[in-house]
Parts: sequence; C-alpha cells; structure tokens
Amino acid sequence: MRRKKLLLRTGLIYAGLILVLLVFIGPILWFALLAIRPSETVFAIPPVIFFTPSPAAFQSTFVDPGANRHQLVNSLIVAGGAVLLNLPFSFPAAYALSRFRMRGGKNMMLWYLGLLMAPPVAFLIPYFVLVSRIGLRGTYLAMILIMQTITIPFSVWLMKSFIDEVPVELEEAARVDGAKWPRVIARITLPLVRPGMIVTSMFAFVFSWNNAAFPLVLSNQRTATLPIGTLGYFATAGATWTFIGAAATAAMLPPMIIFLVLDRYVARGLTFGSLKG
Amino acid sequence: MSNNVIGRAPAFSLAPSRARRRRRLFPYLLIAPSVVLLVAVTIFPLFFALKSSFYFWNLQMGPKPLGFIGFGNYRMALTSAVFMASVVNTLVLTVSGTVLEVFFGLMIALLLCHALPGMSVARALLIMPTTIAPIVVGFLFRYMYDPTGGLIPWLLAKAGVPIPRTGLLGSGLTALPSILFADMWQWTPFCAIVLYAALLSVPPHVIEAARLDGASAWTILRRIRLPLIRKTLSFVVMLRFMQLFNTFDLVLVLTRGGPGSSTRTLGYTLYQQGLVDFNIGLASAMTWIIVIMVNALIGLYVVFVFRDWE
Amino acid sequence: MERARPRISRRSVLKSAGAVAGASVLPTRRLFAAGKKSIRVLTVADPFYYALAGVTDQFRQETGIDVAIESLAYDQLNARLVSSFVGGQPDADVISVDNIWLGQYLESKWIKPLNDLVKADKDVDIADFIPGVLYSISLWRGQLGSLPIAPYGMGVMYRKDYIDAAGVKIPDDGSWTWTEYLDTIKKLNGQKFGGASMIGTVVSGQQPAPIVHMFTQLAASMGARWFKHFPEAPWDFTPTIDSKENVDAIRLFAELYKASPPEAINYNWFDAGMRFAKGDIGAFYWWSAYFYLCRKDGYMSGKDSVVADKMGIVPIPHSDHPQVGSTGGWSLGIPSNSAATDEAWIFVKWATSAKAQKAMALYTKYGYQFSDFARRSLYKDPDLLKIYPYLPGQLVGLEAGNGKISRPGVPTYTTLESIYGLNLNKVLTGEMSPEDCAKQTAQLWTSVLKGNFMIPYQLKSYDDTLEAAKALIASLSA
Repeated sequence: MRRKKLLLRTGLIYAGLILVLLVFIGPILWFALLAIRPSETVFAIPPVIFFTPSPAAFQSTFVDPGANRHQLVNSLIVAGGAVLLNLPFSFPAAYALSRFRMRGGKNMMLWYLGLLMAPPVAFLIPYFVLVSRIGLRGTYLAMILIMQTITIPFSVWLMKSFIDEVPVELEEAARVDGAKWPRVIARITLPLVRPGMIVTSMFAFVFSWNNAAFPLVLSNQRTATLPIGTLGYFATAGATWTFIGAAATAAMLPPMIIFLVLDRYVARGLTFGSLKG
Repeated sequence: MSNNVIGRAPAFSLAPSRARRRRRLFPYLLIAPSVVLLVAVTIFPLFFALKSSFYFWNLQMGPKPLGFIGFGNYRMALTSAVFMASVVNTLVLTVSGTVLEVFFGLMIALLLCHALPGMSVARALLIMPTTIAPIVVGFLFRYMYDPTGGLIPWLLAKAGVPIPRTGLLGSGLTALPSILFADMWQWTPFCAIVLYAALLSVPPHVIEAARLDGASAWTILRRIRLPLIRKTLSFVVMLRFMQLFNTFDLVLVLTRGGPGSSTRTLGYTLYQQGLVDFNIGLASAMTWIIVIMVNALIGLYVVFVFRDWE
Repeated sequence: MERARPRISRRSVLKSAGAVAGASVLPTRRLFAAGKKSIRVLTVADPFYYALAGVTDQFRQETGIDVAIESLAYDQLNARLVSSFVGGQPDADVISVDNIWLGQYLESKWIKPLNDLVKADKDVDIADFIPGVLYSISLWRGQLGSLPIAPYGMGVMYRKDYIDAAGVKIPDDGSWTWTEYLDTIKKLNGQKFGGASMIGTVVSGQQPAPIVHMFTQLAASMGARWFKHFPEAPWDFTPTIDSKENVDAIRLFAELYKASPPEAINYNWFDAGMRFAKGDIGAFYWWSAYFYLCRKDGYMSGKDSVVADKMGIVPIPHSDHPQVGSTGGWSLGIPSNSAATDEAWIFVKWATSAKAQKAMALYTKYGYQFSDFARRSLYKDPDLLKIYPYLPGQLVGLEAGNGKISRPGVPTYTTLESIYGLNLNKVLTGEMSPEDCAKQTAQLWTSVLKGNFMIPYQLKSYDDTLEAAKALIASLSA
C-alpha cells in the first residue's frame, strides 16, 4: 500500500517535471526548427512538425551572402573584449572587498548592485551623445567600455564570493614568510581562485553577448552584433522568419553551451555570488 | 623587510606610521580602478543627462542645446500621458511579474527538491530559457504569437480560449500580459534554480525532526523552509524587480509600445524619446525621473529587508 | 572580411586591451586599400532597391567603381541615418531619402545640395523629370537635395470581379467623393463572394508612420492642412491640424477602419497591400507601388497573387476642396561627410538616369516590380507600357500630386509624425475621439515647434511653390 502511494507520488512528480520541461524547452526547439524549415511550413496551420529540413536559411545568413557572419564575429569581439577589460578592474576590487574591512564596504557592494538598477537605456542616451562627439561611435571600444557597467558590478560580487573561499590563513602564512603583496596574490590567491575567475568571465561573456540595447545604439553596420543583425530581418515587408531562426539560433548557442558546462555554478553566478550553488 | 600585516591587526603592531598609512590605503587603491572606470562610464553620462535635462535640445536640430528651460522638460514628462502610461505599465509589469515568477519558481523548486534520477539533467535543461538573450526571446514569442500561424493562438483556439481578432499582441487587453508571459517564460527557471539551491541548504535534520513531530508538508514549507531561505528569496525578488523594471528588449521586438501606449514601458519610452526622436533634453529629464524612482523603490526595499545583512 | 582582427593573448591583458582599443578606433575603409574606388549605398528595402541592386553590375562595368549596396527597413533606415549624422560618421556615400525627411536633412546640412553639380552636368537632363515630383521630394528652400529614384502617387485599387458581382459602380475618372467612397466600402463590407466573406477595405493602422502616410492623403484631399501658412511664404507653422476639415477626415478614417479587418490596427504599409493581395478585400487606396506589388503573393516572391488579373485602378476620391494628391517616395542624396562625394555623384546621376531606370524596370527576377519613374519620358516608352499597364494613371497621379501639402517635409517632421501617428492609432482603437486627437496633436505640435524655434519662424521664409520650383529647374537646365 505504501509502495503504491510512493509510486503514485513519483509518477506525479515526473509528470510535473515533464510538463515543466515541455513548457520551457519546447518553445526553444520550436523556434530553432525555424532555421531549417522550408518557408511554406513557417506559418502552416495546423503546425507542421515533420518536414524535410532545408539548409537554405543557414546558407543565406552565414555563407552567401552571409550577412550575419561578420556580426557573429563582432559579437565575439565585443563580448570577449568586455571580459578582457573587465578582469583587471574587477579582480582587485573583489579582492579588496573580500579581504579588508573597509569603511563603507557594504555600501560599495550595494552601489555596484545599484548600477544594475537603472534602465540601460538611461545612460545610453548621454553616452551616445558623448561618444559621438569624440568620434567613437560605431567602434568596438565604445561598446566594450559601456559593457563594463554590466560586467564589473556583477563580477565584483561573484568574484568576491570565490575569493572568500580561499582561506586567509594561506595568504598570511605566505606573508609571514616574507612575501610582499603582489607576490602573495599572484602565487597563492590567483591559482586558487582561477576556477572562480573562469566562471566569472564566462558569465560576464554571456551577459555581454546577450546584451542588445548597447549595440543597438552604439554600433554601425560594420560593427553590428548578431542580435542587431537579426532585428534587421523584421523588414517593412514582412519578416524572413527562416533567416531570423538561423541567426537567432547562432546567437542562442554559445550562452547555452556555457551554461551547460558551468551547470555547477549556475545558481551562484546568477545571484552574483550571494548563494553558494 | 617589514611585514605588511593588514586587516585584523595583530595584538601588537609595531609598523611605522608611513607603512600604516599605506596599509590603510591599500584596499582603496585596489578598488580605485574599477570605481574610476565605472564612474567614467556611468556617472559622467548621468551628470551630462542632468545638465541636459534643463535645456530644450533636439539633436536633429543641432549639435548643441537650444535653450535653457529650467524644469520645463520635467513638467512636460510628468504631464505627458504617454510617460505616465509608461510608469503605470512598468509598475504593473514589474510587480505582477516579480510575484508570479517567484511564485512559480518556488513551485518548480519544490518539485526539483525530490532527489529522483534525472533531476540533475532536468535542472541543467531548465535554465536554458534564462540563457537566451532577451531580444531573442522577443523573436521567439513574436513567432509564436503570430495571429496567422503562430503556435500559441493555435493552441489557445484548440483549447477554446477566445483570442482578440487583432491578435494577442494587437489588443490593448492582451498585449501587456503577452509580454509578461514571455518574461515569465524566460525568468521563472532562474527563480526556480536559485530557490532550489537555497532550499538545498536547509538542514535536512530540521525537516526530519519536524516531520517526526507530525508536521504536514505545507506547515514545513511555511514555517521552516521559507523562513530559512528568506535571504535568498528577498534577493531574488529584488533582482527580478530591478530587471523587470528595465524591460526594453521584449517591448522593442514584440509590440514597439503599441497598441496605442498599452505596452510602453519606461525603458522603451526613454529609447523612443532619446534615440528615435533625439529629444535629448526631454529624455534626460525622463532618465532622472526614472533613476530617482527606481532608487527610491529599491532603497526602501533594501532598508527594510536587508537591515541585518552581511 | 575587410577588418583586421586583433590577436588576443590571455596573459598580456594590457597589450591586448591596447590592441583592441587601437584596432577599434581605426576606421577601415576599402578606399584606403589598394586605391580602388568604391562607394557604399544605403537605401530602404522598397521595390526600387531590388531592381537597383540587380543592375549595379552595369554601373561597375561602365565606371569601374565598386558598389556595396545595402537595404534596411523603413524605421531602421531613418534611425541609422540620423544616428550616423548626429554621430558624425557617415554610414554610406549614397543614401535614399524619403521626401518627408528632406527638409530636416538639408536644414541640418546632413546632405549635400546638388544644385551646382546638376548645373554643371548636362547629362542629368533635369528637364525630363516631372516638376511636381522634384518639387515634392527633392527641393527644399531652393536647394536640390537629391535626385528622385522612386516617387509614389496614390490610387484606389479594387477587385473588378467583386465589384461587378456586388453591383457597385466605381467611376473610372475619380469623380467620386470621399463620402461616396465610404458608402461604396460599406456596401462591399460583409458580403459573400467566391465562398469567402469579403471585407470592405483595409487600412494601415500601425503607428507612427504607416497610419500617418495613409491618413494624410485622405486629410489633404478633404481640405485639412498641417500649418497655417506653408509652403507659400511667409511661413507660419501654427498647427491647423485641429481644423473642422481634419476632424471630419479623422472621423471618416475611423469609419474606414470599421470596415477593415481588425488586425489592420497593426498593419504597416506592406501588410495592408498583402492583405488585399490575399483576396478578401473589396477596395483600398495606397501608394502606386502597390499597383504591382499586389499582383504578387508575397514581397519579392515572384509568384502571382490571386488578385493579379482581377485588379482595377482608379484615381482617389475628392471632396469639395481643391484636390490634393499625396506624392511621396524616394530620392538619392549624398551625405555631407562622405569621403567619396565625386564617385557618389556619378552613382546618383547614373541610377536616376533614364537608361538605368529603364533597365531597373526591365529587371525581372521578382517579376516586374519597378515602375516608379520620375522621368516623363519613361511613361511614354512603348516597351514599358506593355509590361506596366497602369503607367498612364501613375503619371496623372504624380503630375497632380503635391507632397508638400499632404505631408510637409519640415524639420522635426519625424517628431510630429510620431505624435500624430500615436493619436490616430488611438482613435482607431476607440481610446480617443477624433476631436481629442486633433486637439491634443495640435497642442503637442505647438510645444514641439515652439521649442525648436519654428514658432515663430526664425529664418527667412522661402516661397516654395510649384512655379518657383519650375523656375529653379529651368535655371538648372539652362
């Protein structure tokens, strides 16, 4: 009797799980299918599930004329550049906040968080005007710089949580042995924190990669990123949905892969380190 | 070679005064680069916006501001029906989104708490919507909401649910809920995963003890688990509130603020004013109104919820 | 591609950051590479773009100048162009300018006036252009900002078979009033035909631009004017958008929407046309480009639609006010900060020449879709008349049109349009009454115009009439 109740309960749980997965994964698959659909099946009623896949969309968007190919590269450059610029700035700050009892340390942390509060568009407008004046509009640098408003605050939080895990005693032991600060950090802390830095960098990469508001305003045709290119397919004359599907799928894949690889750190990364996943 | 002992000073410290000053300054020096960079990239623009908000300035008319009008832009914004509609829409979206996402996230998290085979795979898959760029989620739902052949209207019709003739995104009644649903689709998994991780940290022996005492699952949830994950719960609520408040990508792709102004959010109105109409003066005023509003809201929240934190 | 990709090494962060910074600030232009001449052309994705892209090879062969041509959707185009002007960086060497943006672009000196270039170059044959077209879409304050490449007039398209079956008469010569038009639409609304339930008409309800473009034809024709005194001097930009004529027009437009598919509230230009091509609409009025677009079942799809051989075209209705046809459309201009203005001018001249335009008209990859000529000679060309049967009607519409009245292309036009479009859209959804729409639009317009120093107008007015335009054209072709 007990066993039957347990079986029923397990069955219900799995049923709920399957329902949840259907709701959250189903649309992704449905949307990704767009990329290989023949165009007549895009809006067919009733919806067509089985069809012969067509590589036309991927070919058009990434091979010939391949308009999205250089946008894919641009996305890599902007996200990659944002991460590279982010590290030397956020690591020292995270270290300081972790190791030292600073006056206003808690407020500093909250200020970092607060920067994420304003709509990105809010400082995008003045930024646009300033950047245009000095002729940096349309450059990778402008986008990489403003990306820091997203990456640095969250990196500081997340990295701090990783640094917190490195026992202070190890550093103090090294210092007692006569090592100076830079050496201590480089020889002791950094190697132990390296996984944390990789995790932080990968999350920073994802947030930069997924950001569309900044490139929307600050890029030009040469430096447009993938989401902006996809937006361009919503033409006045109806949307070419298969192209949108192809470009969007390419935009979806890197963050998905990163999250699958970093599965262990997902909860921690998304709460900026305040939760030990 | 002097020992630089920093942080908790040892019982007897004989460090000379210059080293002590350097010691005290050191952490601030470490923080300085990131602060300086952030200040340059955010504070400068915000002060620029503050200054511009007192001028009439349309970039299309000229590269310089046209005339000082004091609080005229602020008055125009606060009396503008579109701006006030944006405030209402944004608040509605934010509050209902936060409540619903945290609620459903919690439900799913409780589901995930059962240690059954395949759960870890399910968790890894579940987070996928959150990994997608919000703008791509917009494309996804634009496709699925399409009145002529989208999956969702078809499913709703099959289930007998009436849909407005103008399509889900074309009716003032259903447009905002449709955007809300898209956001919920993307972020409920985030709430679920984070709350699940927090629930894991509840010591199992406490739950065991309660169960032995005869407490029902509902009581355990209410009296033991929820209070113990309070910190994370508050944090999640705050994060979702902040991000929902800034909804922009979804509106840009799904409805462009229409029909009428029923889905105009603050982020979108700001974009429209500043980067489409290039009304820098007015947009700057709106920026500051929004910044003040958000900081007040979150500030209140933080004061009340995070009083005893860290 | 054309850009140098910086090599990134994980160790030397500073070095790579510097490399990225340096590489990202350097502009990379093909012009600097190997001294090869090339230009970038940026246009809207209207039918003329496809035809133009299809024939640019001829330009390359004739002149040796490389052309990289790109198209964007309507709203994206203006956003990108203005953004690049304001940001001081040219995104292209030749751009397509909508007639309503011309005033803004010239006044802000974003595009180069072409008067001197045209005067010095007899090849342009400027006398061949329809004067009304040049007046409506290329001239502002005596400056020729562009050369027309695809002007549009307006006309009514209707289902010949359905009209006959419903026993409705439509005058061939446009001698019907708007009230009669509305009555006809109402009669056509809701009847069964060919197994389908027919809808009277279709409108473009999307804000901000499509709804304004469609509505302003109706409004101008019914005697509404945007400003107190424009384009004749002296200019007075006090809005008269709350006049009785305009309120009546808004009311009529709302009635037209009632006889349209409800989804039309979101229809942009193309959606409305394609709805007609789908086959369940009785009649509607729209830009002349749709005379041929509606004969296909999709944008640039090449396949005929179900209404292809069942369409009739007649002039738009009038009211008891002097008739005003809305002329709109595209012309090619040269950004002032382009680095290749000489080559750009060669392209502009070529693309708007009779020879290239005819080649574009004969381009058949998508089934003949381009016949929006600005040159009178092309309307008489026998080869073209064979392929494009509605040419005579198009010419009539263009010669009688006045774009400066229906949608004055003044500076701040896009701001005015977004206010107007939003309010008109609200009238269609029932949120706002026509009177409130007119009143609120007028109020908001006044504050915008005042703030931009257009009320009272600060500069010297220019007497912008068709006669003045003709005189100017004559002086340029002398």
